[in-house]
Amino acid sequence: MTEHEAEGTHVKNHNHEDVVLDVDDLNVTFSSEDGPLHAVRGVSYQVRRGEALGIVGESGSGKSVTSMAIMGLLPRTAKVTGSARVLGQEVIGLNDAQFSKVRGQRIAMIFQDPLTSLNPVHTIGAQISEAILTHRKVSRAQAREKSVHLLDRVGIPNPEQRVDQYPHELSGGMRQRVVIAIAMANEPDVIIADEPTTALDVTVQAQVLEALEAARQETGAALVLITHDLGVVAGHVDRVAVMYAGRLVEAGTVEDVFYRPRMPYALGLLGSLPRLDGGRDHRLTPITGAPPSLLNLPVGCTFAPRCPMARDVCRTEDPELVEAAVAEGERNEDPVSRHRAACHFSGDLVSATPEDLFGSEAGKAGASAEPTGGAPVPEAGRGPEPEVGEPEPEGREVLLRAEELVKHFPILSKGVLKRRIGEVQAVSGVSLELREHETLALVGESGCGKSTTARLLLNLVRLTSGEVHYMGQPIQDLSDKQMRPLRRDLQLVFQDPFASLDPRMTVSDIIAEPLRIHREANGSAKRRVRELLELVGLNPEHGSRYPHEFSGGQRQRIGVARALSLKPKVLILDEPVSALDVSIQAGVINLLEDLQDELGLSYLFVSHDLSVVRHIADRVAVMYLGKIVETATTEQLFRAPAHPYTQALISAIPLPDPVKERTRERITVTGDIPSPADPPSGCRFRTRCPKFADGLSDAERTLCVEQPPELLDRGAGHEDACHYSQVVELF
Amino acid sequence: MLVYTARRIAVAIPTLVAASVLVFLMVDVIGDPLADLRSMQPAPDPATIAAAEERLYLDRSIPERYWLWLTGLGGNGDIGILQGQFGPSVRGGNYVIGAELWAGLHVSVRLVSAAVLLALGLAIISGVISAMRQYSKLDYTLTFVGFLALAMPTFWLGALIREGGLWINRTTDSTFFYTIGANSARVDDMTGWQYFLDSSGHLILPTLTLMLTSYASWSRYQRTSMLEVLNSDYVRLARSKGVRYRTVVRRHALRTALIPLVSVTTVAVAGIIDGVVIIETVFQWRGLGYFFIEALTHKDSFAIMAWLMLSGFFVIICTLIADLLYGVLDPRIRYE
Repeated sequence: MTEHEAEGTHVKNHNHEDVVLDVDDLNVTFSSEDGPLHAVRGVSYQVRRGEALGIVGESGSGKSVTSMAIMGLLPRTAKVTGSARVLGQEVIGLNDAQFSKVRGQRIAMIFQDPLTSLNPVHTIGAQISEAILTHRKVSRAQAREKSVHLLDRVGIPNPEQRVDQYPHELSGGMRQRVVIAIAMANEPDVIIADEPTTALDVTVQAQVLEALEAARQETGAALVLITHDLGVVAGHVDRVAVMYAGRLVEAGTVEDVFYRPRMPYALGLLGSLPRLDGGRDHRLTPITGAPPSLLNLPVGCTFAPRCPMARDVCRTEDPELVEAAVAEGERNEDPVSRHRAACHFSGDLVSATPEDLFGSEAGKAGASAEPTGGAPVPEAGRGPEPEVGEPEPEGREVLLRAEELVKHFPILSKGVLKRRIGEVQAVSGVSLELREHETLALVGESGCGKSTTARLLLNLVRLTSGEVHYMGQPIQDLSDKQMRPLRRDLQLVFQDPFASLDPRMTVSDIIAEPLRIHREANGSAKRRVRELLELVGLNPEHGSRYPHEFSGGQRQRIGVARALSLKPKVLILDEPVSALDVSIQAGVINLLEDLQDELGLSYLFVSHDLSVVRHIADRVAVMYLGKIVETATTEQLFRAPAHPYTQALISAIPLPDPVKERTRERITVTGDIPSPADPPSGCRFRTRCPKFADGLSDAERTLCVEQPPELLDRGAGHEDACHYSQVVELF
Repeated sequence: MLVYTARRIAVAIPTLVAASVLVFLMVDVIGDPLADLRSMQPAPDPATIAAAEERLYLDRSIPERYWLWLTGLGGNGDIGILQGQFGPSVRGGNYVIGAELWAGLHVSVRLVSAAVLLALGLAIISGVISAMRQYSKLDYTLTFVGFLALAMPTFWLGALIREGGLWINRTTDSTFFYTIGANSARVDDMTGWQYFLDSSGHLILPTLTLMLTSYASWSRYQRTSMLEVLNSDYVRLARSKGVRYRTVVRRHALRTALIPLVSVTTVAVAGIIDGVVIIETVFQWRGLGYFFIEALTHKDSFAIMAWLMLSGFFVIICTLIADLLYGVLDPRIRYE
């Protein structure tokens, strides 16, 4: 630090006019029953006027706490030291009255969950006006007029009417725009956006990010964008800071951090990300272990326990965030934006790739913080080249076949009578086939019916109409008792690893429960549980522990082990990795791939994350409002999507590559998903379809409005349901 | 909001009718009001019994009697709730149930409304303070007081407070607190102001007793819901707009935090009317509690029915008020 300061003082003064947010050695400590919890340790960064800084990190890295400390919104129990200056004014230690003049006026904030950020009992107009009236001496009518203008700026249609509505009358994406409008209200100098799009669907995320860009342009504010999504960062900020265990471990321009990472953690994060633009057979390189507990931080570098490069000095001395080693002539002299990394050996990373560093670790499928005793998951199977000797998917036996599945949930009136006043058409005529040793992905945004379809396939929810065949046998009319023998072949893995394991059962009991139900819990059960734990990369000795002693990734492995206990043929995976952090998620994806190769499983992979799907699936079915709109092999679908919705979906996924992300061609959709209780006539996508809006004549549109398009084969098994489908190459 | 209000009122009416059927049937089946008369030794003249039966309408069938009790059509002019007549008393023609009930209500309403308003006000204030200063000494003190009041049975708490009042009177050698009755014996020669002072003086101790139990549970509710709201995202967003903390608490937190309390309070008010029976006994008031106990001892079925109907009417009115308050406080409910 001393060296940096001695050198930086001169330049810093020179540029001081420019710096709107200057955070210096910020520390936040919470007192807990188990001792002090160091949530943020010595964070320093600066943001210049109009600039965008991204702060990335996994859950618990302290990225949100840092910004809450700057906003003065932490509870009293938090101890904040250090300095944060907004336009030169120190804000740490201000009382509520003094802070209130800064908040909203100079620095504004956008929170993660739009559904809870707005007060349900006030109209959105009142909530925007409140922000204006707090800082400006204007009349209520003027404040209201300004509110309407702001709503218009963030892209809310009919702002005049919307302004008097309550939050519950708006969709999630709309509500987040309202929050952005509130942040813009007083033209602040800094806007802090804390995971502003994490709770939203990808197509809506794209719209909200656009609104955020509009807000920046309108107010000229600097943006601090906090997110776990490297893709969002790549496209929307100038500089990036990476946080790990409460510290900044790397900072620099987006290009520096994405193309020339100088800290093993940053490199590992990039390597563990499934990418839309990378090679599909490329194996992910997860970071072993889990982030350390903030109550009990390791001595030395906090990343050392997970770092393949760690040497003795790393375990004794915590590296400072200093200027990173760069190639000759590439040195960035600017003190604010120059590339810094907290690693003793950042010079060794000059030409390293994630595979070099973390590749050898993949075999351990590491999920536990302590050594797991080397789980011998075979490395064979999915290598760089496709499997040899397997018949093409078309030739394999069909295990599960669904024909014209329909599921309508009744909407009942409130009150005593409970009249049926409508129905939610969750699934409307879905047909699909799952073949042996194949991964079929079912993708779509929230509310498209993908999870309901998965449950219908397992006969967990009764069908309204349609047929499900398992190995040629219709199962939709079987009773629970008749279903039971089939259940051993068809198993389910849930999304939330915290809610899907009974907290009062030991891990062994959880995994053995299916065996017990199927009366196999005899002497061999114990051995089987140990085998399974080992198979999913956990220490077999840990069977007597309880779920809360495991991290999220480990718990998901327990969920997989439980599903595998009866040696099923088909696993239905309902968003199995979406609750996990990136570095953990990669390990679970690798595990699923290994298990499929080893045990010959078939997967139905339900997910909203196209990057993960592209990585793991053989075939993909895209759902929209209860219908499949396109289905093809993964290669076909991502190389040449034909349905406008698929194209928009792929376009909306941010790529973790700054140059590609900024230059790519986009197909965007407008608006929100219509209610499944009242889907549009004809083609259900037409209300948001970019083609319907711009590319068609009125005569052509009539067909879309009147005639629901059928799912038709356009050659080579590539089916889509669009009257005017046209292949577009997006990469 | 208008549609919402109309719908709520429309629901309240059938509920009231159902309540009347239940009240009538349940009181009717518990026993014969003339049992005492019948078992008298020596046995009274059958004509006397027949006359009493006719006076009390016991010679008619149950549906007939219910209809009569509700409407008064075909009766002797002393029955029919819809006409404001509550039926003949077993205690003879001089005891008019309606008038007695009205007198009792007049006495009790003072006590109940004072206690409810006080308990509600204190509960909201201390709940908000407790939540804003969570885990402070003040919070712990308020919590302790709350649980203490909650843990004590009403009759004991009442007796304790009365004894405390008497002790203070003794030690100061004056009549600081009144412990008997709702008013002094001679009220006729008092001026309006004196009457008011006298009534208020009599009110203090019973109100305190009745208030404490409700206050205890309501302040806990208010603290919990306030804490939940204070930690909500929208309170954080309001603060991040630059609104002062106190203003945020008033404008954003309090209103939403009151919603759960509304439902708890309105249901509890009905319970308080029942609880008044005990406290009136302890402090020897001649209010609704006294009316009810007397009715029970005399097996006066029409009087019991009248009391229960009044109680049921209160419950339904309170629920209606709660529903309407919901609508005012929470726009999501209005648009149901």
